[in-house]
Amino acid sequence: MEILIQQLFNGLTIGSVYALVALGLTLVYGILHIPNFAHGALYMMGGYITWMMMTDFGLHYWVAIIISIIVAGLLGVLMERLVFHPLREAPPIHDKIAAIGIMLFLEAFAQYYWGAEYQSMPTPYGQVVQIFGLTLTMQRILIVVSAVVVMLLLYVFLKKTFIGSTIIAMSQDREGANLVGINTNKVAMLTFLISGGLAAIAASLSAPINLVFPGMGQLVILKAFVIIILGGMGSIPGAIVGGYILGFSESLGATYISNDYKDIIAFIILVIILTVKPTGLFSRGGH
Amino acid sequence: MLSLKNVAVKYGSFTAVHDVNIEVTSGEIVVLLGSNGAGKSTVFRTISGLNKPSAGDVLFEGNKINRRSADQIVQFGIGQCPEGRKLFPAMTVQENLRMGGYVHRRKRDEIKHSLEHVFELFPILKEKRNDAAGSLSGGQQQMLAIGRTLMSKPKLMLLDEPSVGLAPLIVEQMFEVIQKINKEGTTILLAEQNANAALKIADKGYVFENGTIVLEGTSEDLFANDEVRKAYIGA
Repeated sequence: MEILIQQLFNGLTIGSVYALVALGLTLVYGILHIPNFAHGALYMMGGYITWMMMTDFGLHYWVAIIISIIVAGLLGVLMERLVFHPLREAPPIHDKIAAIGIMLFLEAFAQYYWGAEYQSMPTPYGQVVQIFGLTLTMQRILIVVSAVVVMLLLYVFLKKTFIGSTIIAMSQDREGANLVGINTNKVAMLTFLISGGLAAIAASLSAPINLVFPGMGQLVILKAFVIIILGGMGSIPGAIVGGYILGFSESLGATYISNDYKDIIAFIILVIILTVKPTGLFSRGGH
Repeated sequence: MLSLKNVAVKYGSFTAVHDVNIEVTSGEIVVLLGSNGAGKSTVFRTISGLNKPSAGDVLFEGNKINRRSADQIVQFGIGQCPEGRKLFPAMTVQENLRMGGYVHRRKRDEIKHSLEHVFELFPILKEKRNDAAGSLSGGQQQMLAIGRTLMSKPKLMLLDEPSVGLAPLIVEQMFEVIQKINKEGTTILLAEQNANAALKIADKGYVFENGTIVLEGTSEDLFANDEVRKAYIGA
């Protein structure tokens, strides 16, 4: 019983990170209708920048994360301006190839600049606490709490502010949005900014319990794709629910089936969902 | 108020519209008649900045607007209720209307006031204000599309085939509302295939064929014209 609860909490932790990454991916998909394969590279850059700010510049964890959010967000905007915007009239396959190109470029850059070694990120929240007989690290509690706070803020921004709802409007009808006076270029940049920022938050929160290395985004982005296919492409609740479903399945699977097959679970879910309900759990009709 | 001077529009190498000259005076209702594919929607898209003219100029209140972006043109005071309506289907009726007021987003009172005005014109929208736009019937969606365009308080409103696919009774109501909007001070440019209903409320009209204007005149002239009667009225 204790193992079960412990594993459920682990699932909540991993799920929080997955949900944050998948949210950024699904927002960009909603706007541009392209799967941004480079999203995992933004995650990786976010992890490295936080790590560099802490170890090289001696900044506090929170300050490092804020810088990382800004840098990864701006990298996202730069991606949109330099690559995706010029390709907006091109056939969709060009965007996908370009996204893979950006991913390879950023990974090569990280390897060149920071080296190929695995780096561990220090955290001021390494202490272990006992709650209801459970042994938890502060970092894991921090991940869950921060992720929930970020998601709530994002919800309020998208639903309750005019600027935020332009993102929703544009994902539902791009030309309709243009005709009510929304500058769709600005909305696209804003979406990439948020998407990059979310990736940086996810990477900076999870890096202390994982590691920082040039390929750290690869498995995460593949799983994020599974999540948004599971939740429904472009669906925001789908990304959150899908993230937690995957988190729980992985942590329970690792305990009760086999730890060696943990990473396969995502892809088994993918096969099942594509067989049973290819449009995903929260599909929005039309697309 | 609005003038198109020798406007041509190309899709790739295909010329969709050529030598179009249109003059809309403030306060008028002007109708563009023509069958599917005659070029009416292309002209509307060009006025709204979604397409750029390959030749000629579009002038609004004396200023050239042909190089302006679609969102800037809404700010100048041209609102379009487009073909296919282009609503935000998963948003509620009220959210759609609020988005329609996007250019006035900093003036909360103004948006509230416009919202009440739209609900007055279309009481059914008030009743359904918390329903998703995609769940409405065709007629209600058309009302919502017109309402959303009104929320930007346009000086000139472009209406692309508001009667298409609607029951005759609803069409009649729709044209009554259009006339009311015009009387309240909005100039209207209307694209229609339903010449009978459109000419009744319009001041003047242009007839489109194969991407250009083949006939123009006052509503009475067009209504009396044999060609127009044969092609669009069926009498």
